[in-house]
Amino acid sequence: MGNCLKSPNTDDISLLRGSDAGPEVSSEQSANMGPPPPYQESIPIYHPSPNVSRPANQLTEEEQIKIAQRLGLINHLPTGVFDGTSKKAKECCICMEEFLLGDMLRFLPCMHTYHKDCIDDWLMRSFICPSCLEPVDAALLTTYETS
Amino acid sequence: MTNIAEARIRREFKEVVKSDEVAACNIKVELVNDTFNELRGEIAGPPDTPYAGGQFHLEIKIPETYPFNPPIVKFLTKIWHPNISSVTGAICLDILKDQWAAAMTLRTVLLSLQALLAAAEPDDPQDAVVAQQYKENHSIFEKTARHWTAVYAGGPKSYPDLDSKILSLKTMGFEEHQARAALSSKGWDLERATEYLIN
Ligand SMILES: [Zn+2]
Ligand SMILES: [Zn+2]
Repeated sequence: MGNCLKSPNTDDISLLRGSDAGPEVSSEQSANMGPPPPYQESIPIYHPSPNVSRPANQLTEEEQIKIAQRLGLINHLPTGVFDGTSKKAKECCICMEEFLLGDMLRFLPCMHTYHKDCIDDWLMRSFICPSCLEPVDAALLTTYETS
Repeated sequence: MTNIAEARIRREFKEVVKSDEVAACNIKVELVNDTFNELRGEIAGPPDTPYAGGQFHLEIKIPETYPFNPPIVKFLTKIWHPNISSVTGAICLDILKDQWAAAMTLRTVLLSLQALLAAAEPDDPQDAVVAQQYKENHSIFEKTARHWTAVYAGGPKSYPDLDSKILSLKTMGFEEHQARAALSSKGWDLERATEYLIN
């Protein structure tokens, strides 16, 4: 599975999965990136850098900050629901499935579009567009400046 | 693998099978089992290289986290190339490591490997001995690579002088591949290769 956030019960997952998974969390709760309480059965796995995978409770403080920042950046990228009107975006290059009416999408600054779940999973590992290899964060800063 | 990895490989498999490169016999993939987590790849040695005329077989393993992580690929066919281990077949190629991107496919990987055969990167070696020979004694490198292509990948070029050196080591009791590897890494110097094998 490519899911870096496996447990449906953690606060962090709703940041990634939006309203389609897990309960809504207040911003106060989601800002807390500390290790999950010990009674939890499955601990989410994070990827602080591309080839490193570690459960949330084994991350260094530095890695936790990096992940929190990453989640914040991802959340700034626009999302939408596929309504069939876009002729350009037809298929998600990560899962290679065609978009279906009602699918949750995320739009990158380079204009590439993916399923929200697919791209969020990728962006947690690498902050480049998997199709054009454009760095997402650099592009993101430019969008901020112009808007 | 009841997930995105398997669904992707199913689609990609069809994509490669239909591709123009397959039609031109340049690349090929085959399934090893029906769980789609292991495949066999095949690439043709590019023309005008020491690998021309050879067919190179690859082991392709699909991690559960594919396509978020790259496939794990190695050469099954023995090959003499700076970026491929002459012993294990392990490959040093950026897109199979940190430059992987989720939109890349099996087809991209096979074509990139074919490109690697045409343009080695001796400064980023997997096999230090081969890389050194590539840089310091390029004509011996090319001859050795061509010889390996003929012996292991069905390439056309034979070198009776190299074969006779291997034969003399064989008559001394050394196994053929062992003799070839020793001679190759010692620039086909029979004395140095013998010394190397004895020690
Ligand atoms: Zn997708
Ligand atoms: Zn892009």
